[in-house]
Amino acid sequence: MKTLEYDVLVVGGGIAGGEAALNLANIGYKVLIVEKELSIGGKMILLSKVFPTLDCAACITTPKVSEIQRHPNITVFTGAEPRKITKKGEHDFEAVVFQKPRYVDVAACTGCQLCEEACPVSVTDEYQFGLIGRKAAFIPFSIASPRAAAIDIDNCILCGACERACPPDCIDFTQTEEEFLVKIKSVVVATGFQLFDPLKIPRYGYGQYKNVITSMQMERELAPTRPFNTILRPGDGKMPDNIAYVLCTGSRDKSVGNPICSQVCCMYSIKQAQLLMGALPMADITIYYLHIRAFGKGFNEFYAQAQEMGVEFIKGKVGKISEKENGNLILRYEDIEAGVVKEAEHDMVVLSVGILPNRGIDEVFDNEKLKLDPFHFVDQSDILASPAKTSIDGVFVAGTATGPMDIPDSILSGGSASAETTSYLRRRN
Amino acid sequence: MEVEKGKTAKYLKEKRPVPKEVTEHLKYFTKTKKQLLDALKEGDKTVPQLAEELKKPKEEVMFQLMSLLKYGYVETGEIDDNDEYFYYKIKSNGKNKS
Ligand SMILES: Cc1cc2nc3c(=O)[nH]c(=O)nc-3n(C[C@H](O)[C@H](O)[C@H](O)COP(=O)(O)OP(=O)(O)OC[C@H]3O[C@@H](n4cnc5c(N)ncnc54)[C@H](O)[C@@H]3O)c2cc1C
Ligand code: SF4
Ligand code: SF4
Repeated sequence: MKTLEYDVLVVGGGIAGGEAALNLANIGYKVLIVEKELSIGGKMILLSKVFPTLDCAACITTPKVSEIQRHPNITVFTGAEPRKITKKGEHDFEAVVFQKPRYVDVAACTGCQLCEEACPVSVTDEYQFGLIGRKAAFIPFSIASPRAAAIDIDNCILCGACERACPPDCIDFTQTEEEFLVKIKSVVVATGFQLFDPLKIPRYGYGQYKNVITSMQMERELAPTRPFNTILRPGDGKMPDNIAYVLCTGSRDKSVGNPICSQVCCMYSIKQAQLLMGALPMADITIYYLHIRAFGKGFNEFYAQAQEMGVEFIKGKVGKISEKENGNLILRYEDIEAGVVKEAEHDMVVLSVGILPNRGIDEVFDNEKLKLDPFHFVDQSDILASPAKTSIDGVFVAGTATGPMDIPDSILSGGSASAETTSYLRRRN
Repeated sequence: MEVEKGKTAKYLKEKRPVPKEVTEHLKYFTKTKKQLLDALKEGDKTVPQLAEELKKPKEEVMFQLMSLLKYGYVETGEIDDNDEYFYYKIKSNGKNKS
């Protein structure tokens, strides 16, 4: 096993982990980012625009991720995960990190996409959340970082067409899984969140009715690197003109095991509604909500702006969604203000899915317990005085790994994790 | 063992047979691609029109057609008179070899 040495291991290369890594690297610490996906940037790199400023997400993320990749004090492993982290003493940790073979020499790949063009296989594109296909030889998405191809070996027929097409000969099917022993002085956990799976609420018909999509799928439809030529229904390609949002899908709902508020769904839905009004000027947008939570800076104004633009807000609890022959959807809901059950027809429904913890990181810690909170997010042992502290001295936490939060808060949290890591590293005993 | 650069797929194929589902899936995609491109060669069509012609679910046609758009075989044409469905067509100077 190859042994490597760094000052800090950052687990997760989303915006929170990236921010923590940059701060630490800028003051001279050597940082290793271990990211399980093929690109760093987390969920943010896949968003369209961001509330409340409506800045383009890629325009903010792209310079950040390239700064991370170019930084002399930062090393990035993609397609990699720590499998075991052991605390041997203060300022003394050991991690076993596994890296899956990408079958491409990332340093040599120019991102020319000739392998993609040559590959005959088409499978579902996970980075477009299932809306479209991709090849088995593929660049994850156009602003991926690193912008290098990867081979999806599970769907590859090993025909060799990609290899023959590749000008610098950088495809290499002899690559195998690698294992590293990494010695570090401190760890930052920035493993982020996962989206609620709406298949768990069968009465909304997700999966069965193709014009019911998730908010993440709508983010992709709205992004410049969108899957379709414009906003279309995945069920039949119709341009929608009457779109409904169902807020709190999988949040504040004990029946699906997630009683807490996801904090960002109200705002990202209001954002998407505004973007849709721009993209489809004739469309009606209705948001079914329980309470609108617009507590952040500029949020209430952003909400008011959506109302002024003509987005309709209905305080209503959606009970059931059913499909008509033409692919339109009937929403049966309780109009909370009027106290009656009503029905409304829409031609597309977006489920504003909640934010759940990414499970499993606590099991990676070997000899000391990384405590989780009652909702399985990483517990902040001193939330008021030292919010990045965890139950293990020398292990800090950043971003949505601690609970739902938006991008500005994730960046702040990454900043606080880097500050607390620095103070730990300087506290020489 | 030293494996020659640019010919490594063969090496792995000997060690790791390709599962049957994977080849079946490729066959299905290639066939559907040909059907869609053939149908579009006759003229510009919308997703529901293609679905009817190919006797396939509309959502499947949508998925495959949008993939072909991404891969550069197809391009977007005009929208219909009701502003509902786009027509799609074979991409001029695209890769419509099949
Ligand atoms: C539909 C939608 C729209 C949104 N829109 C907005 C918006 O407009 N404005 C806004 O402020 N916020 C928005 N958000 C919230 C925003 O996405 C989050 O605040 C932000 O992405 C959190 O960043 P993070 O780094 O904490 O987590 P993530 O983005 O989840 O990053 C975590 C990273 O860690 C990696 N990882 C996880 N586990 C491991 C492991 N074991 N080993 C290695 N790597 C691992 C993951 O692959 C991922 O890359 C939106 C969220 C959603 C769902
Ligand atoms: S070897 Fe695999 S990835 Fe390469 S072209 Fe053939 S099917 Fe695609
Ligand atoms: S692997 Fe080769 S063909 Fe594919 S993008 Fe990289 S350089 Fe181009």
